[in-house]
Amino acid sequence: MTPNTFPFKITEISDAVTVAEAAAREERFLRNLAWLEAHASEVYSHRGKIVCIAGQELFVGDTAQEVVARAKAAHPDDDGRFTRIVPKERGPRIYAH
Amino acid sequence: MRIDGLWMVCDDGIVRPVVRGEVRAENGTWIEASLLIDTGADRTVLSADVLDLLGLSRETPAERLEGVGGRADSVIVSTTLRLRRETGAMVSFEGRLAAFTDPAALDMSVLGRDLINLFPLVVARPQDVVCLLGPGHRCLIVTE
Repeated sequence: MTPNTFPFKITEISDAVTVAEAAAREERFLRNLAWLEAHASEVYSHRGKIVCIAGQELFVGDTAQEVVARAKAAHPDDDGRFTRIVPKERGPRIYAH
Repeated sequence: MRIDGLWMVCDDGIVRPVVRGEVRAENGTWIEASLLIDTGADRTVLSADVLDLLGLSRETPAERLEGVGGRADSVIVSTTLRLRRETGAMVSFEGRLAAFTDPAALDMSVLGRDLINLFPLVVARPQDVVCLLGPGHRCLIVTE
């Protein structure tokens, strides 16, 4: 692929409802992220799995859809949930894809 | 304009610079995607877990993505990526994004130079700063 093959249409959304919803979602995300950082060794012990943090709780599975379905069922109001792929092995990474 | 990122502890204990984004799913909801700031990446690429949650129709790319570890299967999705700026407003990038289909190919989505090049970027670990700058903000290097 060559750079700039896919141009983006850039807009700014500043209506009060969107901003408030996004702020609330980010607050919930940051709460879940803080929980992850406090429990990193437990979360990242699940090598080769997909994890989801929702409601400051860990869910582990083999696919994102499966793990998020369980997280949603347990914490339906937490839209600040997020998933992570836990690599099978630890080690220095060079991304550059 | 300023879009703040953060230094995030990853699975190997390494702290990496990321920007929190949201990607629009087929059903209109927003899926969280933390994007590693990767100035070595030509293109922004979503990881397979995020792709899995989007439920979007997938196009076959004309060319496969290639990285240090070799080539990996990828697809193209038409969607919107949103980043939150310092005022709380969302900056929205509507277009076509690449995504890996194999979770082993990439553990975290990356923000590549197709988007990074639109902004001055500050990544400074000692100062605990990760941010993309736009009109109204600038960085200044001072010789002391």
